[in-house]
Amino acid sequence: MQVELRHVFKSFPHNGHVVDVLHDVSLTVAAGEFVCLVGPTGCGKSTVIHLMAGLERPDRGQVLVDGTPVTGPDPSRCVVFQDAALFPWLTVLGNVEFGLRMAGLERAKRRERALEYLRLVHLSRFTRAYPHQLSGGMRQRVAIARALALQPAVLLMDEPFAALDAQTRAVLQNELLEIWELARPTIFFVTHNVREATGLADRVYVASSRPSQLRDVERISLPRPRHAEDPVLLAHQHRILGFLGEEIEKVLREELGETVHFPEAQHETPPERSPGMHI
Amino acid sequence: MRLLPKRATFLRPLQAVAFLLGLWWLTAVLVPSWPSPWRVAAILGGSLSDPAFQTALAGSARRMVIGYALVMVVGIGFGLLIGRIPLVDQVLGSFAVAVHAIPGAAWVPLAILWFGMTERAVVFTILLGAAGIVMVETDAGIREVPPLIRRAAQTLGARGVRYFWFVVVPAATPKVVNGLRLAWAFGWRALMAGELLTSVSGLGQRLNAVAKTGALDQLLAFMLLIALIGVAVDGLIFKRLEHAVRVRWGLA
Repeated sequence: MQVELRHVFKSFPHNGHVVDVLHDVSLTVAAGEFVCLVGPTGCGKSTVIHLMAGLERPDRGQVLVDGTPVTGPDPSRCVVFQDAALFPWLTVLGNVEFGLRMAGLERAKRRERALEYLRLVHLSRFTRAYPHQLSGGMRQRVAIARALALQPAVLLMDEPFAALDAQTRAVLQNELLEIWELARPTIFFVTHNVREATGLADRVYVASSRPSQLRDVERISLPRPRHAEDPVLLAHQHRILGFLGEEIEKVLREELGETVHFPEAQHETPPERSPGMHI
Repeated sequence: MRLLPKRATFLRPLQAVAFLLGLWWLTAVLVPSWPSPWRVAAILGGSLSDPAFQTALAGSARRMVIGYALVMVVGIGFGLLIGRIPLVDQVLGSFAVAVHAIPGAAWVPLAILWFGMTERAVVFTILLGAAGIVMVETDAGIREVPPLIRRAAQTLGARGVRYFWFVVVPAATPKVVNGLRLAWAFGWRALMAGELLTSVSGLGQRLNAVAKTGALDQLLAFMLLIALIGVAVDGLIFKRLEHAVRVRWGLA
């Protein structure tokens, strides 16, 4: 499935006035493609996910899936949220079975399918556990299994690994790539982590701060798994950080009400010294 | 000064009880008309082995069980309807809050007017005294599904009746359980008020009877029993239930 935003505008009411979040945003994710969107915090990245998922409607412009306008949420476009968003009253198995149950799949079949996807994310031993008994990384694995079990054509991921430690994040990134190679869903992945974006995606969109506009698209044709020290990868990262640096200055200026210069050195910090290059 | 090592947390309630008993005993020593704790305990023990008293106690228990069952059905049922259907909310929403605002005892006159000095009047008092809080909490619970849970459920294909039963209702459970716990306390008070005023054979009616004889020691014994039952049921059933739900729901 191909997902497309065509000249999308979106604003939200906030404290009595209207805040423009997306300003004329157009982007395309081809069927089977892995696309990342990076941008400064609060730039409306989640809004893009919500629009694609059908949880929000654009004020103007169109959100299209295979050329058809999105009218609401649909299990063919599953979302993995930053906070896992598991149902606390269901076990791990119950969570993964949830979407299948909503789809009306019979008990034995949904159990079989859920267990299959729990194996895929290495959680076979925790099927009876409740979310509150799991670590953050395990919860996120459950959320991924829950989405994948529906065998969605489109997987929308909203900073899914942002709250995890660096090691867990690296492991889950690799697992995600393996799963993607296996089933080839269309993946749209939002992150503020430049290294993560360049490590995963075929293409990386770079968003500006509010109101969000797209500043750049980097096409990364390196084979996976990608080496963190690959000079081509570093060049991509450098260019993206260049765009983002300007944006971060803008955000800080707005928030602090004065000129803040974002030191150039920050852009050149080698990735191993700033794990994840959070911005 | 610390009487016990810090770790002995299970002893702290005992410390408090011992302190209160000591105070009580001291009062009894200083005020001759005030019965000592041992005397009240002895009377309580005697009453509990008295068949007539046991019958009264069983009567109270029966009314409480019937009343509480009705509270659950009516409270949760109307709470769900109020939270789910805007028309019902407009008609009954503020009514539920109003019912909740009236103390259980205030329903007794109306109950007597409608049902006479009967067991039904007492059950009616429990129902009206305790159902309001369950309605209010159930209503609040099903309105306040966390946005993230709502979004996740929608993207997983939950909608309509299935969304309601598999997402809204479980999401509301902690609030409903909280309402049920409060409803026990309100219902227990309403039961006592109902029995006191209708003189249907029960704990409340016993209390009323001994008050008329002026037997302070018996009065204290019955009040102590009422408090003990209230605290014991709350601690052994409702507090545990609430805690288990809060842990499971990731709230504790």
